[in-house]
Amino acid sequence: MNTNLIGARLKALREEKNLSQDDLARVFGFKDRQTVSAIETGERRLSADELLVAVQKLGASLDYFTDPFRLVGEGRFNWRQSNVPAAVLGAYEKIAGQLIAAFRTLGTQIGEKPSLVRRSLRLTKTSRFEDAAEAGERFAATYELGDVPARRLADVMEQKLNILVLMVTPSHVGVSGAACRLPDLDVVLINRDEVPGRRHFDLAHELFHILTWDAMPPVHIEDATETGGANRVEQLANAFASALLMPARIVRTVVDWGTLRGDALAAALNATADRLEVTSSALMWRLVTLGLLAKSTALAVPGDAIRNNGHPTGHFAEDATSHRPPKFSKRFVEIVARAIDEGRVSTRKIASLLGLSVDDLAETFDAHGVPAPYEL
Amino acid sequence: MDTNAIVEAWRVDAWRALRGGYGLETVEECLIETQTGFQNRRPEQQIDRTVLLEGLKAVHKVSDAERAGALIRDGEIAMLDEGEKALWAHALARPDAWVMCGPDKSSLRIGVRLKLRDRLVALERLLDDAGFRPKIGLRTAYRSDWLDRTLTELAQREGRIA
Repeated sequence: MNTNLIGARLKALREEKNLSQDDLARVFGFKDRQTVSAIETGERRLSADELLVAVQKLGASLDYFTDPFRLVGEGRFNWRQSNVPAAVLGAYEKIAGQLIAAFRTLGTQIGEKPSLVRRSLRLTKTSRFEDAAEAGERFAATYELGDVPARRLADVMEQKLNILVLMVTPSHVGVSGAACRLPDLDVVLINRDEVPGRRHFDLAHELFHILTWDAMPPVHIEDATETGGANRVEQLANAFASALLMPARIVRTVVDWGTLRGDALAAALNATADRLEVTSSALMWRLVTLGLLAKSTALAVPGDAIRNNGHPTGHFAEDATSHRPPKFSKRFVEIVARAIDEGRVSTRKIASLLGLSVDDLAETFDAHGVPAPYEL
Repeated sequence: MDTNAIVEAWRVDAWRALRGGYGLETVEECLIETQTGFQNRRPEQQIDRTVLLEGLKAVHKVSDAERAGALIRDGEIAMLDEGEKALWAHALARPDAWVMCGPDKSSLRIGVRLKLRDRLVALERLLDDAGFRPKIGLRTAYRSDWLDRTLTELAQREGRIA
């Protein structure tokens, strides 16, 4: 655990309350601000009595100062969502923060070090959509994502880019996913209950934000669209995601798209989208962008014909459930299992943080092929 | 007694026998966690609160001062569940002799770190001392041999070979 958690939290709270170190020294009854400074930097430990003074006089709970499973004063999120009330999203952000904090805390506990370097794309807000699309194409080629780029993307993000990818079940159906940036960790959360096409698009879109965060910090909350978008950064992210998941070299060779109309076009869109594990709608607009399909032809395709990739009874959605990825990620679960086995975290505590019963933990480990730690 | 130990004693139908041996005590958080809706186990057991309380000599309310004292003494206590945290906060503030029964490795690790290894006891040992052998087998983490092995492993990892 962070050996100076209490000092760091005290500093975060002081800054949040716009207090100076002198102000805080008076709260504690210290002679000067140097003592506060020493506590904040970890040179001096707070006594139990002083910790109680902090709790009582600064209006924060004991957990605020000591709970390592929460993000305090750090972690910036970008949420993709549809009509989710701000309060609901705020509550879920807290839960997501706990998962991320758990990964970081337990990783440190078992001796894992954060990644030394952080990758980024050479794109800026003034980059053209073509530049973002080219970056997506090159990403798929560079990381050898193969003929179905969606399938390997999450693994590549975790293994090659050290981005934690968590498959989660948000409490609200409109939450598609999120990117989160911490000083020493990048995380993407994806709603595992979404259909595969949406899930993959969200993943690639959030990857763009992670790889361009410094140059173009994303907004806190955005609408989950696959085309257009409210601002330029989102449009660039969509262009990148489309090209990554549907490289021109693949979609060009499927069929002569320009010759198809009506039912034949819808059928080809649905079959190709299923194969690439994207949505038919995203594929259609990708073809328009590539000049392989006229915009007027795309607009003439009835929405019903390509909804759920043409599975009228919701087959695609049902498939999503049966092919739903296991919760969290293998890397995440491996760290949790090791931490439990080494006695670094209580099983009841981590089960509660993950929203599982103690007995369900074993199933989660099994779903990732990770040996379960001891049984309680 | 922590939540896990109480739930396991109940599962193997040993609670009544257990109370005949030791003066069992717990903290309010653990008591709450044993009740349906808070066990975080599947399936949950119906643990009768009245019968449970009849077997407990005391259920302690833990003060903020005790919690703060425990967390300052070892910040790793924050890695525990609420019940386990409260139990350690209470135990560390007690001036008298006590033993703690709770199988979670992280809780055992706190005992090792604080050089209180000899205060940690397996549920099996408590049942043996009460002269009771349950018909339903105890889970591994509640047996004495597992506790001995685990404490040795934890002591080695913490650099405290006992």
